[in-house]
Amino acid sequence: MKLRHELHTLTGAYALDAVDDAERDRFEHHLNRCQSCSHEVHGLRETAARMAMAVARTPPAGLRERVLTAAATTRQLPPVTDVRPLPPPRGRWMPRLAVGVVAAAIAVVIALGISLAAARRQLDEARAQQRAVAAVLNSPGVRILTRRTSLGGTVTVMVSLREQKVVFTAAGLPRLPRAKVYQLWLLGPPRTRSAGLLPPPSVGGTTPLLASGLARGDSVGVTVEPAGGSAQPTTTPIVVIPVSS
Amino acid sequence: MHAPEPAPGRGGRGGEGDLDWLLDRVARGDQAAFEAVYDALAGPVYGLICKVLRDPAQSEEVAQEVLLEVWRAASRFDRAKGSAQTWVMMIAHRRAVDRVRSASAEAQRDQKSAAAAGIVSVDEVAEAVEANLDRERVRRCLDSLTDLQRESVTLAYYGGYTYREVSKLLSVALGTIKTRIRDGLIRMRDCMGVNW
Repeated sequence: MKLRHELHTLTGAYALDAVDDAERDRFEHHLNRCQSCSHEVHGLRETAARMAMAVARTPPAGLRERVLTAAATTRQLPPVTDVRPLPPPRGRWMPRLAVGVVAAAIAVVIALGISLAAARRQLDEARAQQRAVAAVLNSPGVRILTRRTSLGGTVTVMVSLREQKVVFTAAGLPRLPRAKVYQLWLLGPPRTRSAGLLPPPSVGGTTPLLASGLARGDSVGVTVEPAGGSAQPTTTPIVVIPVSS
Repeated sequence: MHAPEPAPGRGGRGGEGDLDWLLDRVARGDQAAFEAVYDALAGPVYGLICKVLRDPAQSEEVAQEVLLEVWRAASRFDRAKGSAQTWVMMIAHRRAVDRVRSASAEAQRDQKSAAAAGIVSVDEVAEAVEANLDRERVRRCLDSLTDLQRESVTLAYYGGYTYREVSKLLSVALGTIKTRIRDGLIRMRDCMGVNW
């Protein structure tokens, strides 16, 4: 089919933005239905990007600062999400409002239960850790280091090589989505060990976390991991603090 | 076993996968990741825009817009559709040609001299950001094209001309230019080992 063939040969010009707006619209319409065309366009665009890399020039001084400053005060676009129709109400006999009220009530009950249990557990842990934390803080040669994280907020570590322990606290870390958690690591030349999950940050900061088994050469790092934590870091640390010299 | 490693770059070169991964971080508001993306791509972005616009002041302005757009729209990057590097360069090129094709810029531009420059200065004017492997390879691959393919591709991409304009500048039939751009790019793709 002639028209189709004509359109197909436009892949190159399209990939280089060498088409006018009307042609671009027409071709994009065609692309939606032509898999081989869109595959070809992807490859040609990658090729064009390599041609761009080849003409790199040192940007003017000051551009970096201006871009970063502007970014810091520019809100980002949300991701595009699939728009799905709301599911139909389950039972017509139950007004939607009532469904909402019941759901909210259940949520409150669950939340209370969780926070009560969490509070009790935290209290127990805090008591159990208190002596150990004190031992670190009182140990001779303890070092206290504070660093900002790439997500904002600060973390502070109190390091005792003698006790081979680190006490870790954080303040001002952004709240994570429910499916994510901050995980603390001891990053060592031989291997990286998990040092536990941070409790969700509250307004004041996290409760201190105690990590044992610190070795010379270790760094302390924090990553964002899926809820429940990971066996090894799966994202770039938001902060890394070398703790032993 | 438990969690995905950062996806390797589709192009199979070191660093591309990292950029994809960094851009995902940027989408989540990670400013440190954005700095890393800036450091990797500001040079090519600025260089490409200079190539098309030629005016350094205007190029700087557009480069700033483009880089800020990378920050703003990072959540729209879809690695299934191409590498991070390609996504950023698409934005840069599109913005540059939009600027060129806006009516006022059109009037200012001396098409003929720009066209001639587009052909002869494929790479010699660009200032190296660092030892640039891409530069050598692109030069070598451009050399492997026929003259018409090379002129068509470089005028369209580095010159920012539509293929209709290229056809006119080179006094070659429209259909021929269209296919030469495609053939030339395909040859470049294969020569540079782009895996798509």
